[in-house]
Amino acid sequence: MMAPARRRASAKGWLSAVSSPKFITFCIAVSMVLVFAGTIAQVSMGTFPAQKRFFNSWWVFAATPWGFRVPVLPGGLTVGLLWLSSLLASLFQRFKYGWKSAGLVLAHVGLILLLLGQFLTQTLARESQMPIQLGHTMAYAESTLDTELAVVEGSDPKFDQVVSIPYSRFSRPGEIKTPLLPFVIDVQRFYRNAQLTMASAAGAATQGVGARIAVQQEPPVSSDDDSNAVTAVVEIKAGGQSLGTWLLSSGLGAPQTVHVDGKDYRLYIRPKRYYFPFTLTLKDFRHDVYPGTDIPKNFSSLVRLDSESGHEHRDALIYMNHPLRYAGLTFYQASFGQNDTLSVLQVVRNPVWITPYLSCAIVILGLAIHFLMSLQAYSRRAA
Amino acid sequence: MSSKKSLDDRLSKRLPVWLAVAAALALLPGLRAPSYRAAVPLADFGRLPALGGGRIKPLDTVARTSLLELSGRQTLAGKDGSRAALEWLAEVSFDAPSADKENVFQIDDPDVLGVLDLRQGRRRLYSFNELKGDLALIQKQADEANQVRGSSRSRYQSAIISLQDKLELYQELENTLQLAGAGNIAFGYQYLEGKLLPALAEHFKHRHTDRTAMSELGQYVEQFQFLAKVAAFFPLPVRVSGQGLHWMSVGEASIDRLRTDSFHPGLIAYASMGDAWRSGDAAAFGKAVEDYRTWLAFHAPGPASWVSDEFVFNSFDPFFKASLLYLAAFLLVFASWLVYPKTLSRCAFALLAVAFVVHTAGLGTRIWLQGRPPVTNLYSSAVFVGWAAVLLGLFLERLTRRGLGTMVAAAIGAMTLVVALHLDNQGDTMEMMRAVLDSNFWLATHVTCITIGYSSTFLAGFLGVLYIAQERLAPQRLAESAATLERMVYGVVCFSTFFSFVGTILGGIWADQSWGRFWGWDPKENGALMIVLWNAAILHMLWGKMIGRRGLMVAVVFGNIVTALSWFGVNMLGIGLHSYGFMDKAFNWLVVFVAAQLLIMAAGLWPDEPDGVRP
Repeated sequence: MMAPARRRASAKGWLSAVSSPKFITFCIAVSMVLVFAGTIAQVSMGTFPAQKRFFNSWWVFAATPWGFRVPVLPGGLTVGLLWLSSLLASLFQRFKYGWKSAGLVLAHVGLILLLLGQFLTQTLARESQMPIQLGHTMAYAESTLDTELAVVEGSDPKFDQVVSIPYSRFSRPGEIKTPLLPFVIDVQRFYRNAQLTMASAAGAATQGVGARIAVQQEPPVSSDDDSNAVTAVVEIKAGGQSLGTWLLSSGLGAPQTVHVDGKDYRLYIRPKRYYFPFTLTLKDFRHDVYPGTDIPKNFSSLVRLDSESGHEHRDALIYMNHPLRYAGLTFYQASFGQNDTLSVLQVVRNPVWITPYLSCAIVILGLAIHFLMSLQAYSRRAA
Repeated sequence: MSSKKSLDDRLSKRLPVWLAVAAALALLPGLRAPSYRAAVPLADFGRLPALGGGRIKPLDTVARTSLLELSGRQTLAGKDGSRAALEWLAEVSFDAPSADKENVFQIDDPDVLGVLDLRQGRRRLYSFNELKGDLALIQKQADEANQVRGSSRSRYQSAIISLQDKLELYQELENTLQLAGAGNIAFGYQYLEGKLLPALAEHFKHRHTDRTAMSELGQYVEQFQFLAKVAAFFPLPVRVSGQGLHWMSVGEASIDRLRTDSFHPGLIAYASMGDAWRSGDAAAFGKAVEDYRTWLAFHAPGPASWVSDEFVFNSFDPFFKASLLYLAAFLLVFASWLVYPKTLSRCAFALLAVAFVVHTAGLGTRIWLQGRPPVTNLYSSAVFVGWAAVLLGLFLERLTRRGLGTMVAAAIGAMTLVVALHLDNQGDTMEMMRAVLDSNFWLATHVTCITIGYSSTFLAGFLGVLYIAQERLAPQRLAESAATLERMVYGVVCFSTFFSFVGTILGGIWADQSWGRFWGWDPKENGALMIVLWNAAILHMLWGKMIGRRGLMVAVVFGNIVTALSWFGVNMLGIGLHSYGFMDKAFNWLVVFVAAQLLIMAAGLWPDEPDGVRP
């Protein structure tokens, strides 16, 4: 008879503990330490790795002199979860609902939505880049961080057949078999980053350009403006027979060609590509500067959008603070190059982009109501 | 005692008003043109417009920002006292050999001095003549340093690049209004007009070629091409139909004469000014400037009038004057605790009001000149943080009338303006906005809200400092004001929570609009977030009764640290330990500020004497 009541009481106890100001203050304090540490770390680690280590993780680990790593701080995901539980508990437990608390309740509901939105963004959003040359047409964007091993077969004049092998698969030695290809790719050596030089004696591979190139391992880099030359030496086997070894690297400009069953296959290690059901053609790129200076005043790309289904053919002007939103993707003017003949568009897929707008409106409304009511009470007392 | 009190009462009616009027009158002469020591009348020369750094500004601004960039100061120190930047610019433009003797190049870095074989002494400024022999060496060293990417440059590398930039700027300035060291410029134009151009026409029309004239003309064109290439600014407006004004360099305008019927009037004017400067002919100089200004008033009326206003703004220097008035107001509140409380605190409020009017006028002029919302860079953020804090402080003073609002407002006003005055050596404080920032809407909303958040967090923090100082130094005073201070601090914390949050969020929305990421954990975003978090923490600690009155005060003082770090600390991250010059000094000041706040917090947390009463 007593047990359920006690359980209810203890659940209640938990709720009020989690929603207590002490716990909330603790959460805020931990967040501040995390944000501070994560910001400082960006200087040495680069923005993205620091984000991943501090904010997109459950725990932040630090190396010890004894070789193993220990968690030193809860990561962004843990802190977010703490916040979320505390906010939810306070909705159930803490607030005495009524006009007086309406503003605060609204603000906290908005915060819950904001946190959920940020969590979904961190898990669902995908960023890539589309470097597009003046007059060229592109149907895909490239990842800035992720690489793929692509095998392209181009005997059909209408389209290429592309088989993409993800980084996680080709980054460890071993055989890669797939029914899509008439041969087996056996990864013999893999380098996260490498330096390629002309070989004085034998090259790293037996076939292709690799026969003349030596590979030297390099420590992987993580800063924002360096990139790794992801490199692998692979053996191609067809019909139980070795055709030789090839050197593949994102540092090589050209693909390596393998000839199997009368067909040519081009092998690349390249930034991972995301294909779209539409194409963009860069019609014009403008880079205006203030007169007499090289301070940029404006960048804009005029693109033509053609959908694959053929229903949509239109021009769009992408410039600062004015992205193109289309098919769940957003295209931003990010960068440029090659004497203003190359425009780089940042491509973001974020299905929950609307949540911050909504949640912020709710929090702002809530805070405004609450503080205005406080101010009214204050001035009544002061008068 | 009673007679003193009645004297205080009597004085408090009139004296504050008279003081305000006197302060305002004392400021008026600052609106007149300053006097210069040069032999020729310079004020109107400083009012001539030029396009530089993407915007149209008076030569006075060109002079001030250039001298600041070279020497870190706005005046030229000499053996016989200091001279205005404008005089220096005239000398650089018209009499390069003399200007080369002036000590204007600031070199602090011991390694750079070592490379130049100069001994590090008391002197920090060097003349062009001293560096002339080493130009090739400096160029080579700077080229090597430029191979290294910005963030990983050593202190020496940044310093040598900075010196190279200064030398380039200086030589460009020498070759902007005329060829460095040349004389008889006006005669040269007459010679072109009277002899060489007719010879050219002859050549085209009658196939009759005067070879000497052609080769002389070729030399002139070569000279003009050089001037067009190196020009530091563009002083000559031409109306292009359908496009408004096009600003040309002296070289470009001279070459343009080959297409048009006559020389640009500005060319002749600047040539005559140069000749008059060298011969010390005040009348001729004045006439050349005057004639050209008349032409400008007719052909480029807009720029001619607004650069003249900027000239007045420069020489009035409202933020410097306001900072002195804030300081005076602060001292008066302090004095009011000792004698004549009513009179002196009202006098302080009156001075604060005058200072605020001057501050507002300065801010308003900047907004109007720039056509931008108030905050566009670090300098203007300091000006605006102070302004908003003083406005809030004035409001609090009207509510509570205890001198507390006046004191804190005056302190923040003075400190932020001093910070601003030290920030302006980054160059033109009204520089153009880079493309991504070129959005008045977001500058007006996001940046303004964030900056108001800084202001109010500082205001709460300084009220906390005042509380702790009174508690430790004048506990009997605190007894009257403790409850008032607590209410003020609570209100300001709520206010700053709201504005910091709104500002941070608007920043996220801007980021989402411009590069598709609502939140990117960027250092500046994180800084703003820290302020929101800390204010929220204070409110929750109060609501949960985890802290009392004194805990609140210590907490808001910590808010000063959080705000200072996200305002300035974040800007130092990128350049971090390798930074050079200003940011190094700023970093030291930031450390001092943070240490002072920590000390104050410790004083607030120190346990009372056993018999002491905890308010």
